[in-house]
Amino acid sequence: MVELVIDNLVAGYGNVSVLHNVSIDVGEGQTVALLGTNGNGKSTLMRSITGLIKPTAGSITLRDEGTDIDLTLCSPREIVEHGVALVPEGRRLFPLLTVEDNLILGAYRREARDTLHDNLDFCFTLFPRLGERRTQQAGSMSGGEQQMLAVARALMSNPKLLLIDEPSVGLAPILVSQMIEKIGELRDSRGLTILMAEQNFNQAIKIANKGYIIVHGEIAFASKDATDLRENEMVKSYYLGA
Amino acid sequence: MDFLELLINALIAGVLLGGFFAALSIGLSICFGLLDTVNLAHPTLIVAAAFCTFLLNDVFGLDPILAGVLITPVFFVIGLVIYTAYYQFFEKNSAEALRGLAFFFGLLFITEVILIMVFGVDHRLVNAAYIGKSMGMSLGTIDVSIPYRLLVAFAVAAIMTLGLQMFLDRSFFGRATRAVHQDMMALSLMGVDPVAIKRIAFAIGLGTCGLAGALMIVVIPIEPAVGRLFIGNVFAIVVLGGLGSISGTLIAAMILGIAESVVSTFFGPSWAPAVSFGILLGVLAFRPTGLLGVGDTR
Repeated sequence: MVELVIDNLVAGYGNVSVLHNVSIDVGEGQTVALLGTNGNGKSTLMRSITGLIKPTAGSITLRDEGTDIDLTLCSPREIVEHGVALVPEGRRLFPLLTVEDNLILGAYRREARDTLHDNLDFCFTLFPRLGERRTQQAGSMSGGEQQMLAVARALMSNPKLLLIDEPSVGLAPILVSQMIEKIGELRDSRGLTILMAEQNFNQAIKIANKGYIIVHGEIAFASKDATDLRENEMVKSYYLGA
Repeated sequence: MDFLELLINALIAGVLLGGFFAALSIGLSICFGLLDTVNLAHPTLIVAAAFCTFLLNDVFGLDPILAGVLITPVFFVIGLVIYTAYYQFFEKNSAEALRGLAFFFGLLFITEVILIMVFGVDHRLVNAAYIGKSMGMSLGTIDVSIPYRLLVAFAVAAIMTLGLQMFLDRSFFGRATRAVHQDMMALSLMGVDPVAIKRIAFAIGLGTCGLAGALMIVVIPIEPAVGRLFIGNVFAIVVLGGLGSISGTLIAAMILGIAESVVSTFFGPSWAPAVSFGILLGVLAFRPTGLLGVGDTR
């Protein structure tokens, strides 16, 4: 299992910084919720971890069995090789390829190719819907099915750290709740370390071990554990309407 | 010859011609259909390959098909160089639309001028045992005559195009090639370098020019400007088949091959180009994305 430690991260686009000294710790096998409304830097953080944007200061460390890997020095390809997978915001599927081709592309990483068939079976067991639609074009499926495919495609790379950016966006409430449950199952069955960005606090809190609230690119609140998160005044005022 | 005999001969020749068209178009189908690079120089580079085949045949007496196989890797490398330049100067700065088009137009003219300066404007042929002979058969009362050179070209084209299609369909690399124009960022998240995929896929597309050039000089005598005759055909085939669909390209090549052969038999060869574009316009009116093209769902 892996641990993710982000320390005083500064990142942004061009001259504009979006994240200001963000520090986050995702412990081994934990599910951590990153809470915040639109435009507060959740996706920017996800992009920094996966190497799509280069941070200007701070560090992102992946601690794998005692070895520290500095992800800020790695290319996106190397980060995937180290076992980090992102389910991006808006799913980013290949709409004209079949469900199966999307999944197989998820296993492009050398190490994942050996376990391609086991992982395909795993995904079809986790989401039987995808099995029924394996030859269908990804773009022609419903939003819920596409979100399943996006999660399954990330799993195909045999990740140790799974980053999920807004799994609930655009889904009906019942589907959100199912998706969150599946993510919880995954953590338990595959020993994944999960960082999940969410706006839907009530759903995220169901499986999160702890959470961070990000406001205007800064961590406004870091909880020690799930209870701490649930009972925090800021959480209550922002999300629970109290 | 009666009508039926003419028709059957025209149909058989059309199928063979279709295979040849498929070999000319498949590389462009990759570059244009899958990678969005409008390689206008594709047919002219095929002519350049045909001249290389001519040299190897004329000087060393190599079989033209063997020569084609040998020059294919050379064209693969040329493809790597062209794409790297194109990426560096145009695509990276999102200037591919108009200036990128001008780049390939320029490449077309430069290639053609070099060919004229080196080889002159005379028509060139190659020698091989199967050129200039025909296979005669009779089906009942109908006599069918098939030139061996068309048969050879068809067989080689079939192996090349079907092999390439299978490769793009089933391999990891092929899937990445089909995905790259849909979402480059998502591809990087899978641990794939999208620019590297494009570079290699473009080089494979250009590599097909090597073998296609050998087939061209086996099928017809060539001169430097003969590529222009085929620009219309190959683009019509790629668009007719549907951008991004390799099987569509192969089917469209077959349709145009048969149509051109039948029309030139009954109405004269000058009508043939009109047929390509007539079919293209007709199909696009009803299926704007081409025969097997799929609508953009993004």
